[in-house]
Amino acid sequence: MTNLTRLPLNPFTGLRAAITGGTSGLGLALVGELLTRGAQVAFVARRRDLVQRVSRQHRAAHGIVGDVSKKNDIHPIAIQIVGALGGLDVLVNNASDLGPVPLALLGDTECEDLERALATNVLGPFRLTKALLGALASSAREGRGAVVLNVSSDAAINPYPRWGAYGASKAALHHLSSIWNAELAGDGIHFLSLDPGDMDTPLHALAVPEADRSQLKRPETAARELADAIGRVLSDRRAAADARAQETIQETLHDSRQPAHPAS
Amino acid sequence: MIAASLPIQRPEHARLLVVDARGNIRHQTRSNFIDLLRPGDLVIANDAATLPASLSGRHLPSGRPVEVRLAGRRSLSPDEVHRFSAVVFGAGDFHTRTEDRPRPPELAPGDQLALGPLCATVEALLNHPRLVSLRFDAPPDQIREGLARHGRPIQYSHISTPLALWDVWTPIAGPAVAFEPPSAGFALDWRALASIRARGVGFATITHAAGISSTGDAELDALLPFDEPYRIPESTALAVSRARAGRGRIIAIGTTVVRALEHAATFDGSVRAGEGLATQRICDTSRLRIVDAILTGIHEPGTSHYQLLRAFIDEATLRRVDQELNAHDYRTHEFGDSVFIERKTQAR
Repeated sequence: MTNLTRLPLNPFTGLRAAITGGTSGLGLALVGELLTRGAQVAFVARRRDLVQRVSRQHRAAHGIVGDVSKKNDIHPIAIQIVGALGGLDVLVNNASDLGPVPLALLGDTECEDLERALATNVLGPFRLTKALLGALASSAREGRGAVVLNVSSDAAINPYPRWGAYGASKAALHHLSSIWNAELAGDGIHFLSLDPGDMDTPLHALAVPEADRSQLKRPETAARELADAIGRVLSDRRAAADARAQETIQETLHDSRQPAHPAS
Repeated sequence: MIAASLPIQRPEHARLLVVDARGNIRHQTRSNFIDLLRPGDLVIANDAATLPASLSGRHLPSGRPVEVRLAGRRSLSPDEVHRFSAVVFGAGDFHTRTEDRPRPPELAPGDQLALGPLCATVEALLNHPRLVSLRFDAPPDQIREGLARHGRPIQYSHISTPLALWDVWTPIAGPAVAFEPPSAGFALDWRALASIRARGVGFATITHAAGISSTGDAELDALLPFDEPYRIPESTALAVSRARAGRGRIIAIGTTVVRALEHAATFDGSVRAGEGLATQRICDTSRLRIVDAILTGIHEPGTSHYQLLRAFIDEATLRRVDQELNAHDYRTHEFGDSVFIERKTQAR
């Protein structure tokens, strides 16, 4: 029972984390960041050649080929994530679709472009999270903590013209995160919805090709900030779980002594 | 009893036959099963997700089609996914009743099976012409990908439409280590878990690699259940001790939970945390050290699941249960109705 009460200084040691959209931009930076901090990492992306390339770069990471926007891919992805890591403590729903490229006014947005943005940015995270809730809840019960980080955007809050498909889908994801968080607090699963800021990534280059890249945040910097946010939640959760476990041990010892010493 | 033929996990009118510790029987709606719980009780479920364990392919030496149903493994370790025990069927699929399926081609050690993207080698025959030990030669990630993408959920002819994984994963499903769904867990959704918590009832999980329930071959079915690996988290072992100390009941959701907990039971009535391999069969002579009550499906006489119920109630009560189930047309199989059986009052 003693190892329940051991509080690791680094909340990422042995942490089991999965990242979607892990072969470029922020996702790729998060793979590297979490590995560096001592986590076991699985990442998901659509293109096999890119998954293999990142796997060669990060040999400890488990690369999984799959498209989160496709319903039939969700369970195979979930099987491989939980199978490779032996459980799951952190899920980062990072894979995102911009909608129409180049960005377009909503009136000029093809329905199919909006549908694809919703499938990738809302339905995908919803389905994958749902398929992984059991693993996350088990992790929370075991005192490891369970965190889902949904990568958001300021476009989820502000009505930027021409960002309609992306902004509306990220707004839906943001609200989804809040409701999951309220509903699953009792199960110990914590949801974060965070805006990493404007980064120098392939997605941003599609959206704003004329941007001055030197003014953009490096994805590695954003990855560090997001990892810090995850770390804070985990440290709080584990401290609370350890306190509860300590209480339980005391109670159990107390209860089991009673019948043995009726006179005392 | 009739077979439930639609893959609906929580049909609104699912029924529950309740047997209390004195052997009294009553009927109720399953969705109200939480009313049977008391503050201090501990509900324990199996969080295993279901692997798509049916693999279609070809027996290379004969060139004939086969369906392989993975049926067991020795460990839950992520790195040990190379070896499985498996039942091999001949041509065809689940639409044909398993007992009517053609036999597979004659299998011999060393035979190769091409199973979609995977290649497996027959390592040994396990005392039966269609029960084999299979080895996949690939890195673990590649084996997992092959199974996840090529496999289909094992299913039987009483359900005519092909099952998808979301049909057979319980809401709390985690690691995909079960070969058939731990279907008693279909009764528990997230709302039920919140109600359980609100009642002051505990909830914990184990992971148990539930094996196949039937092969359609009497000789093989007599060997069931196969050995099944399981893992009991420390938090679950602790919750058991705590519930027992507070005189709460341990309520198992499904037979696999009973098998794992009783296998890990110690003489002082606690359970060992960690991984184990359940090898025992639970029957009328088994003494239950941990589990006080079980919520499970409607099992047909003769199955190993049915045998397990004999550890909870005596023969006369079990016969009355069968009569009631038949008289009230309870639905059998994984998507059917349920029973809640409290162990007859006895000294632990």
